[in-house]
Parts: sequence; C-alpha cells; structure tokens
Amino acid sequence: MKKISMTLLLMLSAVALAACNSDNANGDSNGDGGDFTPTKPIEMVAPAGAGGGWDTTAREVAKVFGETGILEENMAVINKEGGGGAIAWAYIHGKNDSPYNLFVSSPPLMFVPLNGQSQYGHEDFTPLANVIADYGAFAVREDAEWDDLNDLFDDMKEDPESVTVIGVSAPGSMDHIQFIRIAKAAGVDVTKIKYVSEQEGGTLTALLNGSVDVYSTGVGETVEQVRAGNIKVLGITAEERLEGEVLSDFPTAMEQGIDETFVNWRGFFGPPNMDQAAVDYYEAKFKELSDSEEFDEVRKKYGWNEMYMDSEEYKTFLDEEKKEIETLLDELGLGN
Amino acid sequence: MEAFQGLLSGFQVALSWEGIMFVLIGVVVGTLIGMMPGLGPISAIAIMIPITYGMDPAPALVMMAGVYYGAVFGGSTSSILLNAPGVAGTVATSFDGYPMAQKGQAGKALAIAAVASFIGGTVSVVLLMLLAPALSSVAISFGPPAYFALMLMGLTAISSLSDGSTLKALISAVAGFMVVTIGIDPQTGTQRFTFGSVNLLDGFDFLIIALGLFAVAEVCMLVLNRRNNSLSDSQKLGSLKLSKSDLKEMSGPVSRQSFVGFILGVLPGAGATISSFISYIFEKKIAKKPEEFGKGSIKGIAAPESSNNAATSGAFVPLLSLGIPGSGTTAVMLGAFLVLGVQPGPMLMVERPEIFWGIIASMYLGNVFLLILNLPLIPYLAKILAIPRPMLISLVIMFSLVGVYSISFNVFDLYMLLIFGAIGFFMRIFSFPAPPFILAFILGGMMEQAFRQSMTISNGNLSIFVTSPLPLTLIIISLLSFLVPVLLGLRKKKVEV
Repeated sequence: MKKISMTLLLMLSAVALAACNSDNANGDSNGDGGDFTPTKPIEMVAPAGAGGGWDTTAREVAKVFGETGILEENMAVINKEGGGGAIAWAYIHGKNDSPYNLFVSSPPLMFVPLNGQSQYGHEDFTPLANVIADYGAFAVREDAEWDDLNDLFDDMKEDPESVTVIGVSAPGSMDHIQFIRIAKAAGVDVTKIKYVSEQEGGTLTALLNGSVDVYSTGVGETVEQVRAGNIKVLGITAEERLEGEVLSDFPTAMEQGIDETFVNWRGFFGPPNMDQAAVDYYEAKFKELSDSEEFDEVRKKYGWNEMYMDSEEYKTFLDEEKKEIETLLDELGLGN
Repeated sequence: MEAFQGLLSGFQVALSWEGIMFVLIGVVVGTLIGMMPGLGPISAIAIMIPITYGMDPAPALVMMAGVYYGAVFGGSTSSILLNAPGVAGTVATSFDGYPMAQKGQAGKALAIAAVASFIGGTVSVVLLMLLAPALSSVAISFGPPAYFALMLMGLTAISSLSDGSTLKALISAVAGFMVVTIGIDPQTGTQRFTFGSVNLLDGFDFLIIALGLFAVAEVCMLVLNRRNNSLSDSQKLGSLKLSKSDLKEMSGPVSRQSFVGFILGVLPGAGATISSFISYIFEKKIAKKPEEFGKGSIKGIAAPESSNNAATSGAFVPLLSLGIPGSGTTAVMLGAFLVLGVQPGPMLMVERPEIFWGIIASMYLGNVFLLILNLPLIPYLAKILAIPRPMLISLVIMFSLVGVYSISFNVFDLYMLLIFGAIGFFMRIFSFPAPPFILAFILGGMMEQAFRQSMTISNGNLSIFVTSPLPLTLIIISLLSFLVPVLLGLRKKKVEV
C-alpha cells in the first residue's frame, strides 16, 4: 500500500513539474512575437475513417511534410470517426490551446453544426491555413435531354418536382446545398427541389440506371465516367474553368450566366485559443508545403486545386461563407 | 479473345515472383486479421493502406485484394470456434458452425468452411473473369425500388431463422428494425432517438450488435451453465477428414450457393452479409431435413461459407468495371486504389489491363494459397478450444472489447457492447432467437432508405414498386416464399386430418 502511494506521489510530482515546464514554455512564447518550434510529434486528426477525403488529405500532407523536412517534428495522422466529424471536433475542442493537436476540415465543419449535429463550428477553433480547393459538379446521363445548366434549370423553373437530384450527404449538407445555391441563383424555386441521399457508390448507380436525373458531387468523381461516355457534366461550381484533361471541358455555372460559385475548401485548424506564435509557425509551414513541388504532385494526382489562405483571410472567408449558408438553410426550412 | 489475352497478361503479373510473393503476403495477413474476432476485412485493408505507399500499383493491389478475400476466408474461424463473428458475412456460419464445434467436431467444421470457401472463391473468380464486363450493366440496373424489393425478399427469411415460436422471431426482428433507426436519418438529416448524444449520431455499428448478441451473450451462458461443461466436450478436435458422404452432402449447397453468392456480391449494397444469409435460408428451405439446421448441419456451414467468399469476388465486378464500391469494405478498397494513383472504372480494363487482369488472375492463386495454408493450420486453431474455460471466456471478452474499440476508438461503444450482451443474454433465457434481430438490423436500414428514396422519386406513388419488371419479380418471389410454406402447411394438416 505504502509502495503504491509513494509511486502515486512520485507520478503526481512529475506531472506537476512537467506542467510547470510547459507553463514556462508558453510564457516565453506568449510574449510579444516569441517563436514557436514544436518539440514533440504533432497529432493530425482526420475527423473520419480511413480512405475518405479528409483522411487522404491529412495523410498526403503528413507524408509531404515528412519527406521534404519542412516540419521539424513528425506528424502522426489519427482517425477519429463519427457523427460526420462531431466526435473529432469535440475531442479537439477539449485540447484547449495545445499547439500539437491539429485537424483537417472542409465545408461540413459548417454544415454539421448548422444542422444541429455538432456543438462546435469553425468559430470555436483556430483556423491555421486553407490549402486546397475542390469544386462541385452536376452530372446527368449522357443521353439526357439537357445539354447545359440553363436547359435543366428552365425545366425546373416550370416544374421543380419533375427532376430528382441525388447526392451522398443528407439534405442541408454539402452535395445538397451546392446544388441549391446554383439553382437558386438561376431562379428555381429551391424549396420544391426533390433531393435523395444515397451512400457512396449507390449514387452513380442510381444516375446511370435512370432512377434519378441529376448527380450532385465533386468534380473528381465524374471524370472517369465522363471519359467512358456514360455521363456528361452540365456545370461545375468553380469560378473559372479547371485545368487538365477532361476537366477543362467542364463549363462553369458562371460562364453560363449563373452568377454563383461553391468552393469545397480544405484546410487545417487547431484547438481554440492557440498561441499566436504557434499560429504564425503553422501558417508559414503550410505556405511552404503548398508551394512545394512535392505537394504539387499530390494535387495533380487527386485533381485538387491550389487555394492557400492564411489564418486571417481564412477566418474572414469562413465567416462570410457561413452567413450565406445559414440564409439558404433558413429559406429551405432546414435551419435550426 | 481480347479477354483471353488480357488474362494472359494478368497471369504474367500474378505469376511473377513479385506477384506470388505479394499474393502470399496479402492472404496470410488477411487470414490472420480475419481470424481475430472483431477485426474484419475493413480493418485489414485499412491497416494495410499505409504499407502500400510508394509501391508499384499492380503488386500492391494484388496484395490488397488478397488481404480482402483472405480476411473473409479467415473470418469463419472465430464464428465457428467462439461464436464471435468478426465479420458480418460470417454471422450465418456461426448458426451451424458453433453447434458443430460444441459437438466435438471443431476440426470438421473448420475443414468444411475452408473447402466451401475455396470452391466459392474459385467459382466466382471464373465467373468474374468471364462476366465482369457484361455483368456491370446488370449491377447498375438495380434502382431504389428494386433494392427495396430485394431487401423484402431477404426479410421473408425471418420465420425460417427461428426454431421455436414464429411470434418470438418476429418480435426479435421488430426490435432489430427499431435499433437500426437510431442515428441521423440520411433522407432528412434529422436525428432519431439520439437523446442529444454525439455518440449515437451514426447509430450502432454492426459489430457492436453482432459481438454483443453472439459473443458476449454466449459467454454469459457459459458462465451460467457451468454444470453442462459443454466446452470440455468440445476440446476434442474431432477428425479433420471429410468423409465421402460429408463431401457429397456439401456438394449441393456449395455448387448452388457459389453462384447465388457471386450474383448477390455483384449488386452494390448486397454483398457477403446478405448473400450468406440468403444462401443459408435457401438451403434450409430446400433441405430434406431442415430441422438439422442450427444444430451443426454440414449444409448450414457450407452454404454461407461458399456464398460469402463468392460474394467477395463478385464485389470486384462493380468496383473494377464501374468504379462503384458496393459496400463499406469495397469503399475502403477504392481508397486503396486511389492512394496508388489507380482509378477503377470503365476505363481501367482499357488503360491498365495489367492491373485489371492481374487482380483477377491473382485471385486463382490466392484461393489455392488460402486452402493450402488453412487446412494444416486447423488443428492448431482448434486448440483454442482446449484453453481452460475461465481463460477462454476472458479472451473472448477481451477480443470483443478490442474489436469494438477499434471501430472508432470510442469508449461509449464498449458500454453499448455490454448492453447488447445483456440484451442477447436475456433473449436467450427467454428463447427469443437472435438471428432475426441481426437480419432485420442488416436489411432494415437499407430497406427503409430504398423505400423512402423510391417515394421521393415517385412523389409518393406506391405503384413505383410494381410498374417495372425487376422490382415486380422480386416482390412476387417474396410473396411466394412467404405464402407457399403457409399453404403447404395447411394442406399437410388436411392430409393428416
């Protein structure tokens, strides 16, 4: 018994000492413009399971950081799956001000809290940097009657219920809202649009066999089927045409006279109240990563686009984006 | 002819020393991971993805495919020996595998599973090779109404999954339906029965239910029935050899269910789990002695095992030829392709034939390896049962906990496992069968989604289920499989009177 209490005491004092140490370290860097350099491995959380977009981004970024030596310490990717991200976000939120716990995110960081499924949204975290952009695409079968977005939206203006849209996410989330946003700008009565959600894989099947008419998805998901001549892309949500084989053939909604865009941004965040020195450090490192040749290869491999924003810009962008989505959700009666 | 040439180039990949080595690594790793209760093909593939970084795509994907069907092959072991299915596709195997092992014939049960898996796997690779291009069009002809009808067909099996009261089986199924509604409803984004807990947003993972209702409940029963000493009986491995009559008995189910499994594997969303259940029920319905099922029948092991392995190769049809992942496992597999810079889809066969055909050719090899590896291992595996009971019970509990924790590293899931263990325990005491619960849980979610998607598409018009031939046919088959036994039963009674 005595032995145990001694051990406990030792452990406690060790913890206390360690705490003092880290306090000191923080105290140093908290001062005006002190430097931050990580002294232990950095944890990068992918708020989803292995194999998805967040996971791929986190792993490729960690890999490039490691290979190029941009980052002094190792970056370990951890998957925290559940609740569309909510579980990971609650976990990171508990790591208040730690400079060693980062996570990757994208628009669901807005959609999930707006749909009432997460207590925490982007404003509860410290945005570090945005790195890549992806865009939405609206695809129909190759033999469909519509040849561009205006054809489709003209029909939908007459009878919005004659067309069924499919996507992976639930109503009020990404695949749904990106379509709604463009359709609204084109003048369609968005409250009447029929949208069904289907798990990954099933969506394309349903489009190809004629169960549904329009597939709202990411640009990358359509390329292979377009090349095979199974589907055609009526429009994408980017501001300008993308580069690359097949991709450059996709017309934007903008060039078809519909003045609206949607960016599937992907970037990195830290826990709330992260030290400014640490923010500066990561901001610079992500910039270096984004400019590196190695990461350019990664972007090409997955068809991602470069879209760097530093912490400040990122925050402003996210705040504006969220306001817009909120208005849209309210109009649809999906707001909370 | 083109396919033949393609296949030849595929064999060049598979039979190079590099190919042989990676197939071997893949199937060994897959079987080992699959054997652990709670770890299935999804975990096996996810664990292996980082290892393939920087590898040449063809051998890497041959290895990943090996991990996948290796894990399905090995998955039956824990179902048979411990009643702890680690993979949804082997739940049906435990219905007869575990009773047979309890009768002291563990070795025979494992041998049947291995042989049936081998045949199922091989038959379906042949079918995959011959039919992949043609079948992809069948796979996509299933729209939401057809899926609803298919799930309905699966559900008509509930009554045949119980030995006792049909009423109790139905109650058990209703409970399964209720549990599957927990979580975010994909069609509206609304939370159902989550009581504000983030942990319930995604509902329950299948493993929590399967390990709770089967493994944990079984352990409780073992502790309770100490006098029966059922485990010490089963320490005997029993003869490994399958007699001629055994082989004859399994030949029918295996040859039929390899085809059934393949076809259901091709359909996105159906896969190994549903096919193993349907095959089990299929064989029970046409068996001369259906009463043997559930008590250690050879057919009851052979049917689901040939079927789930056939479905695994079948699942490669939509993945390779359409780029459509039909299940959670193939979705992770798709991720593995993308990591290596290979985009599966209609163009894969044209642009990267060495990968397309290499994977198919390697499956022949992989299945042979699996059989050769598994048969001699059986005596060692079955020794698990010789472990003293207190230790075995602790091991089963430990593996169940680890398996559930590894789904999402969430402690909440562990409590849920114990709760479902308690539910399973009381279901046994009051003789409510667990299989209908699990069947309803598996089919229910997809069935509800398919129904509501159909309703959205048709603006709420129910006629969508009968106006096109595919769903109509499936609904007629479900009605028949429900009504025929009832009518036959009535006639029998009359004759007896």
